[in-house]
Amino acid sequence: MSAASTPTKKRFSGGAAALRVRFLGVLVFLIIIAIVFAALSPRFLTFDNTRSILFTAAILAIAAAGQSLVVLTGNLDLSVGSIMGLTAYVVFDISGKITALQPVVLIMAILIGALLGFINGFLISVLQIPSIVATLGTLSIYRGFVSFYGNAREITTGTLPPFMRDLAQAIWLGVPAYVWVALLVVVLTGLALRFHPWGRMLYAYGSNPKAARFYGLNSTYIIIGAYTGAGVIAAIAGLLLGAQVGNINSLLANGIELQVLAAVVIGGVSIWGGSGSVYGAAIGAIVLATINNGLVLLQVQEFYRLLIQGVAIILAVAVDALVQKRVIGATTRRRIMEVQA
Amino acid sequence: MKNVIRTWGWEGLLIVLIALAAIWSSTLSPYFLDPVNLLNSGQFFVIFSLMAFGLFPIVVQGEIDISLASTLAVGSVMLGKLSVDGVPLALALPLTLVVCAILGAINGLLVAVAGLPSLVVTLGTLGAYRGIAYIIAGDAGVTGIPPEYLTLGSTWVGIVPVSVILVAIFAALLTVLMAQTRFGRYSYAIGNNAKAAQMAGVPVAATRVAAYALAGALAGLAGLVWVAQYQSARGDNADGTILFVITAVVLGGVSIKGGSGRAVGVLLAIILLGTLQTGMRLANVPGTGQTLVIGALLIGSIGIPRAVQLVRERFAAAPRGAASRSVTSP
Repeated sequence: MSAASTPTKKRFSGGAAALRVRFLGVLVFLIIIAIVFAALSPRFLTFDNTRSILFTAAILAIAAAGQSLVVLTGNLDLSVGSIMGLTAYVVFDISGKITALQPVVLIMAILIGALLGFINGFLISVLQIPSIVATLGTLSIYRGFVSFYGNAREITTGTLPPFMRDLAQAIWLGVPAYVWVALLVVVLTGLALRFHPWGRMLYAYGSNPKAARFYGLNSTYIIIGAYTGAGVIAAIAGLLLGAQVGNINSLLANGIELQVLAAVVIGGVSIWGGSGSVYGAAIGAIVLATINNGLVLLQVQEFYRLLIQGVAIILAVAVDALVQKRVIGATTRRRIMEVQA
Repeated sequence: MKNVIRTWGWEGLLIVLIALAAIWSSTLSPYFLDPVNLLNSGQFFVIFSLMAFGLFPIVVQGEIDISLASTLAVGSVMLGKLSVDGVPLALALPLTLVVCAILGAINGLLVAVAGLPSLVVTLGTLGAYRGIAYIIAGDAGVTGIPPEYLTLGSTWVGIVPVSVILVAIFAALLTVLMAQTRFGRYSYAIGNNAKAAQMAGVPVAATRVAAYALAGALAGLAGLVWVAQYQSARGDNADGTILFVITAVVLGGVSIKGGSGRAVGVLLAIILLGTLQTGMRLANVPGTGQTLVIGALLIGSIGIPRAVQLVRERFAAAPRGAASRSVTSP
């Protein structure tokens, strides 16, 4: 098998270089906006403010890591906000009533997230519903379920497991605990994508579903796997968000999917599938949080934030299109050279 | 007969579902089937209908536009501002429609000419246009809109609200546009195979930009209906309604992959969703609970036929074994 030699060859190709430039591009963009904000506002580069940016970005970064799994396969998960809300509501409702279950809230969340993600994956891979439509449907269904389940009750801070409430406030080594959790989730996901066969399959399928099929990869398992993973990660994000918010109603994390998608796109995970990394997505989340924070410090009205965010998304995807062109150009050239040789 | 079922089966199914939903609703309230009541509740879905009609050709072309609700907001606040500045509607409306069409065309240019994925482009402009709407409207929004602008929301022809007639007119126009004109034929061709259409000489980019511009203009018109019905305009108008609009289009039998669907289907889907929502409101189902039913309907409408097909294939293809299965699962 020539798999060992192909990556080394790729390292020198224009395509891989373009992809690396794309990742570095997000970092450079982040640094540039940080410099601009720092120049405009003395309070921006303080330790406290940086900490608060990272704290805001933490949950978004986790959710974006989950979304990346799905986007890598060339699909989408619009139901991420509903999965977050449903998990937080159901888990904290049950653990509030049965306090013996409080130590296992994380396991409960993971199970729920896996189930919801599995349903998404099943609809998309087995019933072959386009992912936008399927997750648009489950977005409504999961959210509607919370509404029926909750029956307009609100879960109050007092019934939350104390350690979850503490976690939301905790600061470890000078950095909020949530940031450490986010780092852990993102790095674990990144490692799984890089080294675990499952992760390699996601990339293989995403970059060319047809070729992956000829190679003998089972698309059904890959897609269900990606969505289940995304569901689990979204559930963790929901749990953290619930603990942070405290009083949870049935609309928790409603509409967050567009922000998560924005983070993923800005972070350089190609919407066509097959390229990008969770680290990029996490940095995308930090970019969004930085823009928000900086504009608030500069007392720019909320309105301009939407405008700037929107333009940033389009710029990011425009750069992606250029990179994509380079990658296709590079691989096609290589293929032509191989044919000639 | 078989051909009729094959061609109009989806619309037929929708009509049956509408009938069922109407029967269910009328058991909840004796007033439901009162024509005056029916037509009046129809008013609530005029805005969604216009947006769905705009989205329909885009989806037929295999693209999507999630920024339409933001375009609507730009339209409504522009009309609001112009109205309190004393501009007559006859001048303000064309101006607004042109601006909204330009906003749509920007989406179209980014998608068709720059070759960017439509979902991400319109995700970006969803934020950007919403921002523009807020900037125009300011914090407080616009109120005290002169009566000239409100006629669309407060006029009846007999027992029929004018805005409902507007929807009927546009349903007819869209039907003609998609079935009888070059634009319509091009749209289906692009949706089925954009590359082949390009090679066959279809002006793909121009047709796409036209579809986006049309959607923008229709969203602007929906903005006028919004102003007329709610007698105010704010930056957050129609925020979050796009999911409902997409649901209506897909439920109307328009394939999200492009290339198929009819305006009548979209109209019927809106009527079905409207009937269901009215019924659920009568049954005191809370707002977010209603979304469960709508989501289930969306997934069921596509998933169930596919599930039936899968089951049937498993039984029918059993003797011939794996060969036929690999052919049918591309």
